[in-house]
Amino acid sequence: MRVRVKLIANYMKLLPPGTKGNTFELEVAPGVTIGDVLGPLGVPLDDSTVLLLNGYQVEADALLSEQDMITAFSAIAGGDRSLSQPDAQKITM
Amino acid sequence: MYGWHGRLLRVDLTHQKVSIEPIAPQVLKDYIGGRGLAIRYLYDEVNPQVDPLSPDNKLIFTTGPLTATTAPTGNRYMVVTKSPLTGALAHSNSGGDFPTWMKRSGFDMYIFEGRAESPVYVWVNEDDVQIRSAEHLWGKEVPETTDALLAETHPEAKVACIGPAGENLALMSAIMNDKHRAAARSGVGAVMGSKNLKAVVAMGKKNPAFYDDAGMRALSVELSKEVGVDVKKGSNLRIYGTAYVPQVTNALGILPTRNFQAGTFEGVDKIDGVALKNTYLITHKPCYRCPISCGRLTEVPEGKYAGKGEGPEYETIASLGSACGVDDLAGLLKANYRCNELGLDTISTGLTIAAAMEMYEKGIITEEQTGMPLRFGDADAVIEMVNRIGYRQGFGAILAEGSYRLGERYDHPEMSITARKQEFPGYDPRGSQGMGLLYATSNKGASHMEGDVAYEEVFGVPVKSDPLSTEGKAELVARFQDAFALIDSGGICVFFAIRYVFTKERMVWPIRLTQLLNLTTGANYTPEEAMQAAERVYTLERMFLLKAGSGPEQDTLSPRLLHEPLPDGPAKGRVVDLDKMLPEYYAYRNWPRGVPAPEKLAALGL
Ligand code: SF4
Repeated sequence: MRVRVKLIANYMKLLPPGTKGNTFELEVAPGVTIGDVLGPLGVPLDDSTVLLLNGYQVEADALLSEQDMITAFSAIAGGDRSLSQPDAQKITM
Repeated sequence: MYGWHGRLLRVDLTHQKVSIEPIAPQVLKDYIGGRGLAIRYLYDEVNPQVDPLSPDNKLIFTTGPLTATTAPTGNRYMVVTKSPLTGALAHSNSGGDFPTWMKRSGFDMYIFEGRAESPVYVWVNEDDVQIRSAEHLWGKEVPETTDALLAETHPEAKVACIGPAGENLALMSAIMNDKHRAAARSGVGAVMGSKNLKAVVAMGKKNPAFYDDAGMRALSVELSKEVGVDVKKGSNLRIYGTAYVPQVTNALGILPTRNFQAGTFEGVDKIDGVALKNTYLITHKPCYRCPISCGRLTEVPEGKYAGKGEGPEYETIASLGSACGVDDLAGLLKANYRCNELGLDTISTGLTIAAAMEMYEKGIITEEQTGMPLRFGDADAVIEMVNRIGYRQGFGAILAEGSYRLGERYDHPEMSITARKQEFPGYDPRGSQGMGLLYATSNKGASHMEGDVAYEEVFGVPVKSDPLSTEGKAELVARFQDAFALIDSGGICVFFAIRYVFTKERMVWPIRLTQLLNLTTGANYTPEEAMQAAERVYTLERMFLLKAGSGPEQDTLSPRLLHEPLPDGPAKGRVVDLDKMLPEYYAYRNWPRGVPAPEKLAALGL
């Protein structure tokens, strides 16, 4: 089945070479998850990435169906990491 | 005193008198500075019922204790006043250089009161403060005004001024500093114009010492490095500015399109950060001492849209771009430049034009009123309307009052996308429910700068959450609102500070910010005390609103968001479930029926 993958902004560098714009199509077998598709491209599959399946937030283990649209972008805060709070114990006030 | 000057400059424009007053140390500690300090003074000195454009209103510029320090992004000031657009509170935030120079002039705060008989500007060079004639500058646009003032004061001074829009009392006029940065929202420029105050020019070498100089410098370097590492890895804010965000909101179906008639825009690829980078971007440009550098220096080199300036950032792309159906990037840039030159808030300006375009396309208004066709997608029409608003010419005089009054005038309130009469930023709340609650309850009317829960709903900070769900959004909104009150009172930029506010459990635990405040001021806040101060600020602002007549009955959104389901995208079929979230929000804040409970006020020392 065919799905589309959109990688936004700084994740565009992970698109397969030759991709026009920020979206490409690929053929996947049934039973494949978002993580299976994005992992090999180098998209971080942790808290630092927001994953959408047809515009809805999902986790990396979400299963794909025909014609699905996958979107991934980095969670941001300042320099693009989600949080920088040190552990309370580690800091002396 | 450390961190704060403990002094304010009061400029009585009516009597052309200048005075310097001490600020009580306890007030500084309790309200931190910036936005907090300003609301304390505004609340005490201005009757909330006052006509915002009368001499009785006051215009306050404030810096925070972290402004002009070594803290990364310690470059903000706040403009606080009663808003002529909303009838509630205005607190508009800007960076650039001016805020740092203002702090170095030796004051934490400037208060402008009364009304000058003829146009003036105020030149603050430390304690040498002069009120000078600005007759020769009246009518001039922002770049020309700024250049002229630098020539007649000092080439190293910094300027905050209004353009023709502020002079003409356009209700969405901004105060521009360093030419391209804006304290944009809620019509603060009109308040300045109503006082016949064209500009404020500042410089100086006075800066309060840090309580712990070595400690402050060390922590500043550490945090700057921490951010710098991520920026080097490839920060979207550095590479694309906020201009990359339309792709994100479009994917979520919340990119305002044709006046919020849809949430996805077919032309998004033509107006986003990537398109900008491939065409008109010259380089990124930081505010003073910012390791992130989200600003965009751009130029359209030739043709009818030729121009050069800073922008666009996301909000401008959403308001003057997709909300007006415009997918011509050069045209959008030109509209952005013109807003900056005239001194207009791009959000309210864009959405007011978008409302007029919807009315025109639906035949509610015709060329007879507008003077020209106003169709979605017509960049030339947008630019022409921007110009007419700035100069209050023709139909521009009506648009200069904002979309709320436009909707009332032509009997279509649903076409004004506002809360407290102020236009929405670029997140359709039907697909971002927390944002809906935020807009409805913000003290300054619809805004993303008063507790941007889009951080969580859209960008996954502090944790990813479903933007379509209302679950837990009441606490989240209240916490974000308080956290932003802390950031705005401290005097640093949200883009930096946001990563130092929340825990993964979504609790506010601003340990780094507290450290910065303590090393700077010696005030010895605990994180709890800092957050209590922030809640004190937020609550006092609410009290101002209640007295101004902008209370719980105004905690709502334009009818479109409550009754017209989004027709497209992932949020298709949704409206904002405000009825569910609002009571939860009041309960969380202990504001029975929207009014802070007496014990809540007592606990906050109000
Ligand atoms: S992140 Fe952007 S707005 Fe904030 S201080 Fe830096 S350049 Fe200015």
